[in-house]
Amino acid sequence: MPLVLIEAPAGCGKTHQGAIFAAETAARNKRGRLLILTHTHAARSVFAGRTKSGSVSIRTIDSFLTEIATAYHAALDLPLDVGRWARESGGYDDVARRCRQFLEGSSMVASMLADRHPWIVCDEHQDASEDQHRAIMAIHSAGARVRVFGDPMQMIFAKTEKEIQRNLKRWEDLKARGVWGELEHPHRWHPHSPELGEWVLQARHILRDGGSIDLTGRLPRGLAVHIAENSAPIPRNSMSMTAEHRAPINALTRRDRSLLVLASGNERVEHLNGFFGRSMPIWEGHTRDHLTALITCVRSASGDVGTISDGLLDFVYATTARFSASSHGNRLKAQIENGCSKRARGATVHLQVMARHLIDEPDHRGIAKVLLKLTELVRAKEEGFAEVALDLKSEIREAIQIGRFLNADEGFAEVSRRRSFTHPKPAPRSLSTVHKSKGLECDHALMMLCDKQSFSNSLYKRRVFYVGISRAKKALALVISRNDPVPFLSM
Amino acid sequence: MTSHPIIKRLDITRFRGIEHLEWRPANGVNVMVGGGDSGKSTVLHAIALLFSPTNAVQILETDYFNRRSDEGFSIEATVELPDEIGLANLQQTFWPWTWDGQAGVIPDADASGGQETPVYRLRVRGTSELDLAWEVVQPNDEVVALPVSLRRRVGVVRLTNDDRNDRDLRLVAGSALDRLLSNGNLKSRISQKISEVDIDAALQEGETEALRELDSKLQKAGLPHDLALGLTSSQGLSIGALIGLLASRDDVMLPLASWGAGTRRMSSLEIAGSTEAATRLTIIDEIERGLEPYRLRQLIVKLDEGGGQCFVTTHSPVAVAAAGRGVSALWYVDIKAKIGSLPREAIENQQKRDPETFLAKLPVIAEGITEVGFLRRIFQTAFAAQPEFLGIRVCDGGGNDTMLGLLEALRDAGLTLGAFCDDEGRFSGRWKAISEALGPRFFQWPKGCLEENVIKHIADKNLMALARDPDGASGRRLRTLAVRLDIAEKDETSILKACGAPEMRFARLRSVIIAAATGDTEGAPNDEAKKEWKSHSREWFKSLQGGSELVDKAVQLKAWPKIETDILPFINGLRAAFGQPALALGALRP
Repeated sequence: MPLVLIEAPAGCGKTHQGAIFAAETAARNKRGRLLILTHTHAARSVFAGRTKSGSVSIRTIDSFLTEIATAYHAALDLPLDVGRWARESGGYDDVARRCRQFLEGSSMVASMLADRHPWIVCDEHQDASEDQHRAIMAIHSAGARVRVFGDPMQMIFAKTEKEIQRNLKRWEDLKARGVWGELEHPHRWHPHSPELGEWVLQARHILRDGGSIDLTGRLPRGLAVHIAENSAPIPRNSMSMTAEHRAPINALTRRDRSLLVLASGNERVEHLNGFFGRSMPIWEGHTRDHLTALITCVRSASGDVGTISDGLLDFVYATTARFSASSHGNRLKAQIENGCSKRARGATVHLQVMARHLIDEPDHRGIAKVLLKLTELVRAKEEGFAEVALDLKSEIREAIQIGRFLNADEGFAEVSRRRSFTHPKPAPRSLSTVHKSKGLECDHALMMLCDKQSFSNSLYKRRVFYVGISRAKKALALVISRNDPVPFLSM
Repeated sequence: MTSHPIIKRLDITRFRGIEHLEWRPANGVNVMVGGGDSGKSTVLHAIALLFSPTNAVQILETDYFNRRSDEGFSIEATVELPDEIGLANLQQTFWPWTWDGQAGVIPDADASGGQETPVYRLRVRGTSELDLAWEVVQPNDEVVALPVSLRRRVGVVRLTNDDRNDRDLRLVAGSALDRLLSNGNLKSRISQKISEVDIDAALQEGETEALRELDSKLQKAGLPHDLALGLTSSQGLSIGALIGLLASRDDVMLPLASWGAGTRRMSSLEIAGSTEAATRLTIIDEIERGLEPYRLRQLIVKLDEGGGQCFVTTHSPVAVAAAGRGVSALWYVDIKAKIGSLPREAIENQQKRDPETFLAKLPVIAEGITEVGFLRRIFQTAFAAQPEFLGIRVCDGGGNDTMLGLLEALRDAGLTLGAFCDDEGRFSGRWKAISEALGPRFFQWPKGCLEENVIKHIADKNLMALARDPDGASGRRLRTLAVRLDIAEKDETSILKACGAPEMRFARLRSVIIAAATGDTEGAPNDEAKKEWKSHSREWFKSLQGGSELVDKAVQLKAWPKIETDILPFINGLRAAFGQPALALGALRP
């Protein structure tokens, strides 16, 4: 059966091509349904918006494999409700591994799937895990034609060099096995900044081949480079700049009504949040790591108020600023320990109310009441809370929503489901990690700070850099450090 | 991958007269025999209900076992489906189970390359509210709806024993004709065509006037007007049900439905046969209905050659015999609706030789032709009514070893039967098991064969009388004795003399008669003689008449009381099977 591999650099119309291919193939094909497998719900909805044919199924690979695992949970030694189990315990990798073994072992089920989905289009295949990849190949071996779209340069979810190297080898092997082609027209930039598009494509080749990007000559229209240094006393803990370095950045943030500020890693985003005085929301993407940890804690606590309060505090520390153990957390715990027995004044009164909620309902509902109270206190700038900033608002909002459900797991599942289907989008001006920006495009992007701390010379960081520079359609600005230079940029 | 739908296993629970049934039918033609009310038709009905092409099926309280609707009923088939059924195009994913020879089981994650047969578990449940629920049981025991479209794709062709049934000759949804002809919106095109017919033209002057008056009345009353006559459909009556096949008979177009039952049924099958073979399951109740033996034979050959799975019931020996010549599987359905297999290798010869064996209420398998004649003669006095009216049939088992295999097959299939045989000293364990299963309906001579056991009771002075056949002629039988004694003369005196000294003469004569009557070849001088000696038995009692004659001889020659003592418990065992009281000694005498 044919295997077609299409290397698709960012912004070269991969989704467009994939959707057209799907629609045309589905129209010709009388039997079964073409299957598009994506890695994210966001990508799933993009395809859904462009493919209206009834004989096309668009699924995330996790949900596709979970469906198989659900039908055969007994053979795979998984619980009855595999989806819920995987969501709650983060067991998607385990599901993929068991499905892969099952499909490789029982050709009957692989054949049935190949019959049902005679064509499979894989989106962003570089992000597929080894098990996900082999599960799809088992269906391919059973007769499904497979068309793979991917870009080894956007492989930013494999973090170790070894893992990246293994996935690169997999990509090369696939090229050898099937028919191979490459998209090379940078559609994303065509209407506004074609020069920027060409430059991004060239930069991709240089980054891929281990070379260094030359920023010394004439820069393409649409690309701006600013020099700046992090003048914070401990650069790993925060970000600050001299007024001179800051000026062009301020000019940009004032000028562009839409702007995506990109940084490598959550910590840098946190630092930039402070740097910009919390003037832009943080784009939280489609996953909720802190909320997941909080629900896991609620489940394991089974009503133990000590465990619940620890989990809650970790959640609040991670999603807010200026709410720490020393500023609030320890006092809240003390209130819980002494059963709110002591008369309180000032901010402690508020902490006592929170402690009371947790003592009365040591579960997700108590937590929701505490978070709701916290939100109100911060908004009203009440004594002791005026300084506190709510950074990850979506995490907090969803934790409060879960409080309306009788059961924490059900609430979490439902809130996650709603998020999958409402496809939240980043605010016009927002702050994001490169990882959470993957798959998005914007008019203007500002990537900062490009220093060695963010971008060392590794296969992984070269890829993160590439994903970052390929988001903006009209204009990209890079803020670059001279003192701690990025090894693969030459000035 | 199969080329047509196959029911690998059928499980019926609490449906009509069947409390529980578990059956693994053959892939091809399944011929079911068994007494009336045994549940054969219920099995066919169950399959038809499961694959019903419409949801509008009414069920009654009597469809539930013991009329207990509160406990529900269930009909489940584990089926293998061909690609052409188009599971791939259904919205819902149906996940396959794998067939392990007994049932659909969850596939093994470590099957690694082994051949797996995908099967699906389809079922229909009768609920306590007298509703039907068509379902597919997924491998995680989740139950999803079995869509009517899939049931129609499987397309059961069903010929019921109901005289009025002509469903497949009409354009009813899911009928054979519908499946053959309908391409999208045929029925709406027909409606359109019919609505174009100007029916008003048939109205006469007065009628037109009446319609006009009604029109003006309605108009005055502010009701819809501008009236005309035309086709209006009514609830429960589809246009398709009114459209059927017509055929020309003497230049008049007549509905095919008005032809005879056999022609109707054969036509339905032809229509079904013209649809895609890949999507067909055939069900025929009382296959012989309306068909002459030659058409019946043709039909059975056709089904066999069609390759699809069929479920057929019959009470016809012609059908049973014809099925024996093909590749069909024969099944016996007992009174508790348990379906027993009649394995071809054990019954094939019997099926051709005496198909009624499988249709009798009480088949009695006898060792050979003599025993058949012998028993038939005795049965004339053993039962109040004619044995053939009672449903008791004496069948030729074709010899000791063949008969053993047949008895085992019939016993295993659950038939009530009798057996009458010799003890030839082989397979004593298997014979013992048969004897235990049949109880008093099993008769075996402790030693020797029938002829031997009768002749041994004949007094010396009467021995020569055995040589006289019913017409009084004795030449042919005496000649066999002379040959064996190696004398030229074949008169009684010479034969007696050749038997040696007076004191042992009759013992010798008796053994020579027994040897001749049983075709014993011991002592034959050469192969040619052996062949001839073997044929001696036919001159004596080895025929239907011979067996009968043995009874008469025993009576005439006063040996009967001893024989009656031997066989009376057996006869009483058979009588008990019909609820008749035991006979006392002497009552059996013809």
